[in-house]
Amino acid sequence: MTNKKGLAFIILLTGFILSLFLCLFYKLDVENSQIILSYIRIPVVLKAIISGSCLALAGMFLQTISKNPLADPYLTGLSSGAGLGIVISILFFNSQNYSLFGFFGALVASFIVIALSGFSKFSITKLILIGLSLNLFAGSIISFLILKNPEKSYPMTLILTGGFSSADYFDKILISLFIIAIFMCVLVFPKLNALRLDTRLIFKSQENANKYNVLFILIAAFLTSISVYSAGILGFIGIICPLLSKLIFGLDARVLFFANLLLGSTLVLFSSFLASNILYPVQIPLGVVIAIVGAPFFVFFLFKKGGILNN
Amino acid sequence: MSLSIPTNKLIVLLGPNGAGKSTLLNLITDNLKIKFHIENTFKNIFYLPQNPYYPIGITTFEYLSSVFFKNTWKWFLTTDEKLKIIEVLEKIELLDKKDIKIENLSGGEIQKANIGLGLLSGADLFLLDEPASNMDLINQVKILKMLKNLTSQGVSSVIIMHDVNLAIKYADEFIGVTTAHKLIQKNVKEFFNKETLKQVFDIEFEILEENDNFYVQIID
Repeated sequence: MTNKKGLAFIILLTGFILSLFLCLFYKLDVENSQIILSYIRIPVVLKAIISGSCLALAGMFLQTISKNPLADPYLTGLSSGAGLGIVISILFFNSQNYSLFGFFGALVASFIVIALSGFSKFSITKLILIGLSLNLFAGSIISFLILKNPEKSYPMTLILTGGFSSADYFDKILISLFIIAIFMCVLVFPKLNALRLDTRLIFKSQENANKYNVLFILIAAFLTSISVYSAGILGFIGIICPLLSKLIFGLDARVLFFANLLLGSTLVLFSSFLASNILYPVQIPLGVVIAIVGAPFFVFFLFKKGGILNN
Repeated sequence: MSLSIPTNKLIVLLGPNGAGKSTLLNLITDNLKIKFHIENTFKNIFYLPQNPYYPIGITTFEYLSSVFFKNTWKWFLTTDEKLKIIEVLEKIELLDKKDIKIENLSGGEIQKANIGLGLLSGADLFLLDEPASNMDLINQVKILKMLKNLTSQGVSSVIIMHDVNLAIKYADEFIGVTTAHKLIQKNVKEFFNKETLKQVFDIEFEILEENDNFYVQIID
């Protein structure tokens, strides 16, 4: 790793620690600091880290195997699957634990899409098109359900934009799922270094390549579902983090693993800090802030370094 | 139909477009599952397609190292593997360019790096789909020479080529694929007679022989 990359890594790490401290200790009430920290701020911080890093890693997997910088963790019909799960849980079960429904909705949707794309005759194009169809299909059901139930439409729209609800108590399931997912990533991530080559070069036959592709897409779907569980549907992170990290740190998957972990969580942490403080005491939905902060940042990097567009 | 691939030979596949040369390579790699008998004793096959994709932003060394990450769970290359990469870089004459980004190499050098990938993968049979197309004569000759040298080191190659005269110079054996999808497998001397060439290409050829060297020319 060259000095420049090392410096970028240090800057990233500082940014991460800075946003972590901002989120935890900014304007912390001295009297009730213990309660605020352990019941509100620490859960929010953990959820931000989990959702950000999961989305970034999932995007990394999908962009590497599809060799397409536009691949997005919600490619596999996940977002609307999750959305449908959330809407159904609010409307029919009146459940407080809607994020769990979102998690299962996302998992079910991605399994349907991957299964329909076929395990042996699998192709990325097929996956994208089926995912797109499912997204449209489930999306229209969501719109229909929201329009039919105007009395609950506001909270539903708010949840669907993504964010950490403070009412939701912090969850041991979430942490264990996250640890499992990270463990899987650590196992398979170096393999992405081989997948940066032309797939026809390293796999004797297309079937063998497909086995790997399906494995990686399953892991990506699992990661994304975890992020849905912790923060709802956050757009953008899954596309820009892998792209940005590739621009800054090159194409070594081992470096990119840590870069994406840090970059994803820093972006979500910082955005969540802005979301809760910029118009205090009004809370802006997290998804909105991420897009507003992320988009200019991303376009700036695109123009500054170039190259990613012809990759 | 059947085909047997001899060991330690450079074999050139000749034939008009659409005759099924690429299909034949795919048959050998098991990508296509048709009842077709191929006799070979090779353990590991490396297939280099026409115009392969290469990633932008990694050095030649990193490009070659990618192969080692396929089947392992480990995060770091062992010293043995690093030495092996250096050895292969030396063999393909790219050692001085090991820290140069792969996209800054010339077409011929990228093709050499791809052959390096095959060497690192431990394959004993290379299937190359027009490895020397879009290259100038000197680079074509370099690639073919390299492949020829490899045959003495236990790596056989089956190459699709279109330049017949260049092929004669380096090939040990020829497989002609006709438009009727028939295979004609012969050595240089037997392959280059008027009847066989007419059968393969459906054109009249003139064959010039000079001190055991063959040249082929098209008769209008």
